[in-house]
Amino acid sequence: MSVSELKERHAAAIETVNNLRERLKQKRQQLLDVDVAGYARSQGRTPVSFGPTDLVCCRTLQGHTGKVYSLDWTSERNRIVSASQDGRLIVWNALTSQKTHAIKLPCAWVMTCAFSPSGQSVACGGLDSVCSIFNLNSPTDKDGNLPVSRMLSGHKGYVSCCQYVPDEDTHLITSSGDQTCVLWDITTGLRTSVFGGEFQSGHTADVLSVSISGSNSRMFVSGSCDSTARLWDTRVASRAVHTFHGHEGDVNTVKFFPDGNRFGTGSDDGTCRLFDIRTGHQLQVYYQQHDENEIPHVTSIAFSISGRLLFAGYSNGHCYVWDTLLAKVVLNLGSLHNSHENRISCLGLSADGSALCTGSWDTNLKIWAFGGHRRVL
Amino acid sequence: MAAPSGSSSSVPSLPPPYPKSPPEYPDLYGKRRETAKVQVLEREIGFLEEELKTVEGLHPASRYCKEVVDFVVAKSDPLIPINRKNRRSCRFWKWLCRMPCFNFSWLSWICCCCYSKCSIHVELPRCCNCSDCNPCNCSNCDPCNCSNCDPCCCHPCGSCSCSIPKCWCWSCSCPRSRCCKKKSCSSVCCRSDCCDLRLPSCPDCSCPDCSCPDCSCCCSCNPCCQWKCPRLKCPKFRLCCSCKKKCCPCNPCCLFF
Repeated sequence: MSVSELKERHAAAIETVNNLRERLKQKRQQLLDVDVAGYARSQGRTPVSFGPTDLVCCRTLQGHTGKVYSLDWTSERNRIVSASQDGRLIVWNALTSQKTHAIKLPCAWVMTCAFSPSGQSVACGGLDSVCSIFNLNSPTDKDGNLPVSRMLSGHKGYVSCCQYVPDEDTHLITSSGDQTCVLWDITTGLRTSVFGGEFQSGHTADVLSVSISGSNSRMFVSGSCDSTARLWDTRVASRAVHTFHGHEGDVNTVKFFPDGNRFGTGSDDGTCRLFDIRTGHQLQVYYQQHDENEIPHVTSIAFSISGRLLFAGYSNGHCYVWDTLLAKVVLNLGSLHNSHENRISCLGLSADGSALCTGSWDTNLKIWAFGGHRRVL
Repeated sequence: MAAPSGSSSSVPSLPPPYPKSPPEYPDLYGKRRETAKVQVLEREIGFLEEELKTVEGLHPASRYCKEVVDFVVAKSDPLIPINRKNRRSCRFWKWLCRMPCFNFSWLSWICCCCYSKCSIHVELPRCCNCSDCNPCNCSNCDPCNCSNCDPCCCHPCGSCSCSIPKCWCWSCSCPRSRCCKKKSCSSVCCRSDCCDLRLPSCPDCSCPDCSCPDCSCCCSCNPCCQWKCPRLKCPKFRLCCSCKKKCCPCNPCCLFF
């Protein structure tokens, strides 16, 4: 077949793909008889109501000298690792505010960090395209720095996000600007699987975020600049299990819903969305009306432990607390007393769900907890 | 949209692309690349056709919305307030329960009722959580001897196998030394070193290896100079910044400012 024939075939194939996608979109639209908010209203649900002192900032973790870009809690103990533009990871005791480790990174341009499930190691990645692992129990070198215990090299673009596979200190998933996600074997430092890539059925632009299901650690979702989120099975690297369309901008952040059957997304289009992983249905859009020219991007999201609250950080400095059932903003952490003085860039819930940590461009992290009356069951 | 996994492609004549050894002849016209692109698209067509069939059998979204609502309302959430109607009285009782037992004699009989070892028992309203006075449920931890009915008060007994963190002092406003003066936090929680670890202030400002003429453009610590960028690919949030000088090909100093 000649090159010109191939080009014709290529053009025809693109048209077919677009037609099929449109048909699929229409069919899905027909199935969206109601969204979560509509259903919840029909059931007489009312929004969560926060008093002025219900969610309060009870700690400010000070120590970074640059913008904080990423944070992660340990799964059991109440420690946090944060990554900053100052080129350091800091490990904090969230209860005492004590810093237990301050790790100087070989590459200062860090974008993401993660705690291992056992709490023994931390991982980070950034513009050097490498995911670096630090064993917190390793002895420091003569300069007092913690040495890198393993470098995971192989990405051809920046490492945008990393997360350990639950209950496995030896496996980690990264997302990258090279349009792929990679499952790593930390013991060997080798790639176990590559998800997507130039000639695979994967993302067609930079991948910015990953989230691994807590209930089935073989499944993870990724969000990308191609405006889609994709669900992957770690046993099937060649193609995504599902591709979730709907966003009209880069998908900056993805996070599994606590039940493991759904996940949330945050995008440059200013919306957060809730998708069902088994059906592909878009169950809810969370959008606050703004001036058309100033739609703030969603930069990070996290669900409360019940899934009732969705915390979403925006590029304009707001941090909305959404009631996921009624799709209403019930609080703006960015406007509370003692809040951050700059954009909230990352956030995460403690393992027991009792505290929220936010990281900001103001160089600080803050711990938020419930200051009112606790629910007693 | 791609179809679920495990499905077969609708284009059996075209095997999935896989890495091949370099061609024996130069691919001057990009034929191999064009072929691979077509293969990827034809596989995609197969996935989409399969997904169209799958979608036919799906239930409407209301079924899954119900699942979400049922899941959420069935699960407790420590960040969510309870019904506002009850809150005032609950706060009052909680306040009473948190009062020291012996410091305020006129209240002690009420407070101690939270704990079975106390001699006087009064029926409390349902909103008063008795575990507040002995949150660790520790037999060696006698809240009547605590200086405060706070989770931290279980700390000194030492033998708790607490299900909550031993030092759950969210009310303690660390950092800095003021935290250690807060009585509701135990000394273990706010020991003197809790706020004292400070980072060295940018030790590498000298940048001995930096050949960049614009070393001062980024910040006082000049992270540009600590970093070699042979394989740099800039992330999407490359922003304009006040820094007009280019330290590196992609000007990483502008990425984060």
